[in-house]
Amino acid sequence: MEARLTEIRREEALRYMGITAAPSAEMARDLDRRAETVAAAARPKAVWRLFETEEDGTLKGTNFRPEGEDVRRLTGGGPVILMAATLGAEVERLILRTEGTSMSDALMMDALASAAIENVCDNLCCDLAREMAPRRLTPRFSPGYGDFPLEQQKNMCDVLNVGRLLGITLTPGGLMIPQKSVTALIGLTETDGEKAGGCAACAMRDRCLYRREDAEDGR
Amino acid sequence: MEDEMILLDGGMGTMLQRAGLPLGEIPEKWNITHPEEVIRIQRQYVEAGSRVIFANTFGANRYKTAGCGYTPEQLIRAGIRCAREAAGSGVRVALDIGPVGQLMQPLGPLSFADAYGIYREMAQAGEAAGADLIIFETLSDLQEARAGLLAAKENTKLPVWVTMTFEAGGRTFLGTTVGAMALTLTGLGADALGFNCSLGPKELMPLVRELRAWTHLPLILKPNAGLPDPETGTYRMTPEQFAEEMAEAAQIGVEMMGGCCGTTPDFIRALKQRAAGFDGGMELIETRNGICSARQVAEDGRLRIIGERINPTGKKRLQQALREGDMDYIAALAVQQQEAGADILDINVGLPGIDEKAMMARVVGAVQAAVDLPLQIDSGDPETIEAGLRAACGKAMVNSVNGRDETLARILPICRKYGAAVVGLCLDENGIPESWQGRAAIAQKIIAAAEQHGIPREDIYIDCLSLTVSAQQAQARETLMALMAVRRMGVKTLLGVSNISFGMPERENITVSFLTQALAAGLDCPIVNINQPAIRKAVAAFQVLSGADPGGEKYIRLCEEIPAAAGKPAPDPARPAENGMAAAILQGMGNEVARLTEEALRTRTEMEIIEEEMIPALNRVGEAYEQQRIFLPQLLRAAQAASEGFELLKKRMADHPGNGLSRGKILLATVQGDIHDIGKNIVKAVLENYGYTVIDLGRDVAPEAIVKTTLAENIRLVGLSALMTTTLKSMEQTIRALRDAGADCRIMVGGAVLTPEYAKQIGADYYARDAKRSADIAKEVLG
Repeated sequence: MEARLTEIRREEALRYMGITAAPSAEMARDLDRRAETVAAAARPKAVWRLFETEEDGTLKGTNFRPEGEDVRRLTGGGPVILMAATLGAEVERLILRTEGTSMSDALMMDALASAAIENVCDNLCCDLAREMAPRRLTPRFSPGYGDFPLEQQKNMCDVLNVGRLLGITLTPGGLMIPQKSVTALIGLTETDGEKAGGCAACAMRDRCLYRREDAEDGR
Repeated sequence: MEDEMILLDGGMGTMLQRAGLPLGEIPEKWNITHPEEVIRIQRQYVEAGSRVIFANTFGANRYKTAGCGYTPEQLIRAGIRCAREAAGSGVRVALDIGPVGQLMQPLGPLSFADAYGIYREMAQAGEAAGADLIIFETLSDLQEARAGLLAAKENTKLPVWVTMTFEAGGRTFLGTTVGAMALTLTGLGADALGFNCSLGPKELMPLVRELRAWTHLPLILKPNAGLPDPETGTYRMTPEQFAEEMAEAAQIGVEMMGGCCGTTPDFIRALKQRAAGFDGGMELIETRNGICSARQVAEDGRLRIIGERINPTGKKRLQQALREGDMDYIAALAVQQQEAGADILDINVGLPGIDEKAMMARVVGAVQAAVDLPLQIDSGDPETIEAGLRAACGKAMVNSVNGRDETLARILPICRKYGAAVVGLCLDENGIPESWQGRAAIAQKIIAAAEQHGIPREDIYIDCLSLTVSAQQAQARETLMALMAVRRMGVKTLLGVSNISFGMPERENITVSFLTQALAAGLDCPIVNINQPAIRKAVAAFQVLSGADPGGEKYIRLCEEIPAAAGKPAPDPARPAENGMAAAILQGMGNEVARLTEEALRTRTEMEIIEEEMIPALNRVGEAYEQQRIFLPQLLRAAQAASEGFELLKKRMADHPGNGLSRGKILLATVQGDIHDIGKNIVKAVLENYGYTVIDLGRDVAPEAIVKTTLAENIRLVGLSALMTTTLKSMEQTIRALRDAGADCRIMVGGAVLTPEYAKQIGADYYARDAKRSADIAKEVLG
């Protein structure tokens, strides 16, 4: 199960840039060119591990106990997949350097890279869904979503050993660098399990610019 | 062969997990809570044949162990004690040090000084606890390796080994190449180098072969037990397979072998058995050398162009940038030269009234953030040279020493310490000898002194000095003769070429002709203004004739890029005749804006152009944005186009000092705890191009720093950004700190999760929903 970047969705990137209208032909061309640059710099990598959950909520064989009602609702105390993915440091450097020469290009690349890491995660989840069938995957849920505290980011990263395996580091505030990285927890439900969680369960759901309309399909 | 090889140990994490260490737990805690387990594992390695065991101290640093209940010093003392107990006699104990866990600047928040401090603490604790040597391993950032190596070398007497972790493509996560790693760390005094983790022996072998070419140091190899199963994290290779694959490393000349993730005492035992049959016959591998940045090597043996533009002598705009600390301008100079084909960049920041030492470190940092090129640190001041070499990641060149004993004695030890190549000028206390023989004699003296200081001949570059042909016509020939003589001494040559034509009409003809002759005489590194098309083409033509540009492909591409007749770019026929400036800005045509600005400067003052042309044009851009006729990328492109005009005006002002152009100063910062600063940088770009001076404190900025600068610079408008809900708190604290300090300023805030209500609630004066709005606010507050 290799990490794969297969598509950078332009409409997603446009949404991140706050562009609601259809892009002009020129903008579409610009986006295409920058998307190529971003894809060339990307070194997508991912890891995941499946854990049973113990009575007290700790993931078996780890010292990690995800906190918050949202996670509990999502997993129902059942098995949990922890995943992490990144585009790598090269994209980070590309965006940083482009900021020095053209903010306009950097903005586009940043938005495209966000769409790219989403694609890498989506691909991984597709593979996982196949692997886990007939059980179904809940939506991805990351530290900082809902009441899943960002403070648990470090613990989660340590469990997955993301520093060594993916080159992801954390700032003292718990933010990941490379920035285009994702850690997430995914619950497994029996085929008809409840599908709470994701955007629908989030406190920011009514005003979040990045809300996923399709977040409930369990990709 | 077995006698010559030193067996190391295998995986520690693997074994600790088998013994029951939960995933996510800090392994070093077990040195104190489960010492018997740690000792038991290490004893197994000793019994299997390990002659050096690595203490369980990999992550025992201040950052990773914060809040675990023990200090790094306690964890390290216990870790060394466990290892020592397991080792018994005749087995050495290494203090094992891994990455800090934070990324270093410029991509991450960790400064060189902080990394150095963290590593110094570990190294000193290890030495005090009785470690025999220090091993840095699993590093992927060369700058972090440098910080560690320097911290260990400067604060302990222990030997220091370094192994880094590479991916199959031949680079680390951070993009360091094998050559760059080897040149940099060999120069900086490592005692052994190698690889660990990430791949199996077979995958690492091509990289081992490459490493052998770039360093003479003993080599270390600690691969994983093949590639892991990504789902379970387990490894499938058998100890026998592992040992078999390692036989090739012995042939290449690897002297120290062990294993990393997935390897166990059985692997070490298998390795010991197999080592008896290792082929002692070493493969012959050709030596390579060069100078480098963290990610790029300028290799010896080919023509390398040194870009000369970052030198303030006679350049008013650069002088102004240095005085104002405008690193963006300097970074742009670096990018320009890289794009024009420079292989190495000269950095000179000597300017009266400037703290040269501090500025050198700062400029080196800014240039390395912008480009991957190796650097030449250019100064006569030893302290400035050292500051530059310390900051420069890679193996740099130092320009320069000369034949004076005092200079040689002061500067050569610094070059030696940092492993830098050295440039020697053929002059001494008596000046520049007129004859080529005189210059060759000084070169000989410099070479002898450098070698005496331990600088190898292949790292010596001699500058035979070109003199102005209009003043000393006979000297051009002497320079070329000296160059040929010096080359025969087995060193490399370097020459500043531009100087030759000073005072002559159509200087370019003279410069190009001299450059060509010098190249034919064997010049390795010309220092030139590579931005000049004639120079670029002369170099490219030489590469065709010397065979370095197969099929002349690069030359042909260059000629297409810069056509011979290229003077000023032809006027764009699509350019609307009326309202030129506004249209050009709106369409993001930077060249056109520059042309119109130059035209306008003939009849109007800088301020008039700004007020009558630029600002109205930018206002129209703003309107278009508000009406959603254009969007953020176009807004930014327009702002960027306007900046081409502003840049010209600034340059003019630098030449004719007078009234400043600024509409006022604004401080911007992304608040503490937050690193998402692209929004802030967008606001900065827009504000600057609306004519404001922006003091950008960067990201993750402490409230105190913001208060301090606001007061010191008498700032009247502060802009704060935060992306995360979690960092809004820090925004609120910053606002309170500014108010408490009595700062007489307005505060605007912005960021994805902010709302107008929340902005008000935390005491901000303005909510800036986007970059355009921030410009409106600036106009309201500052005019």
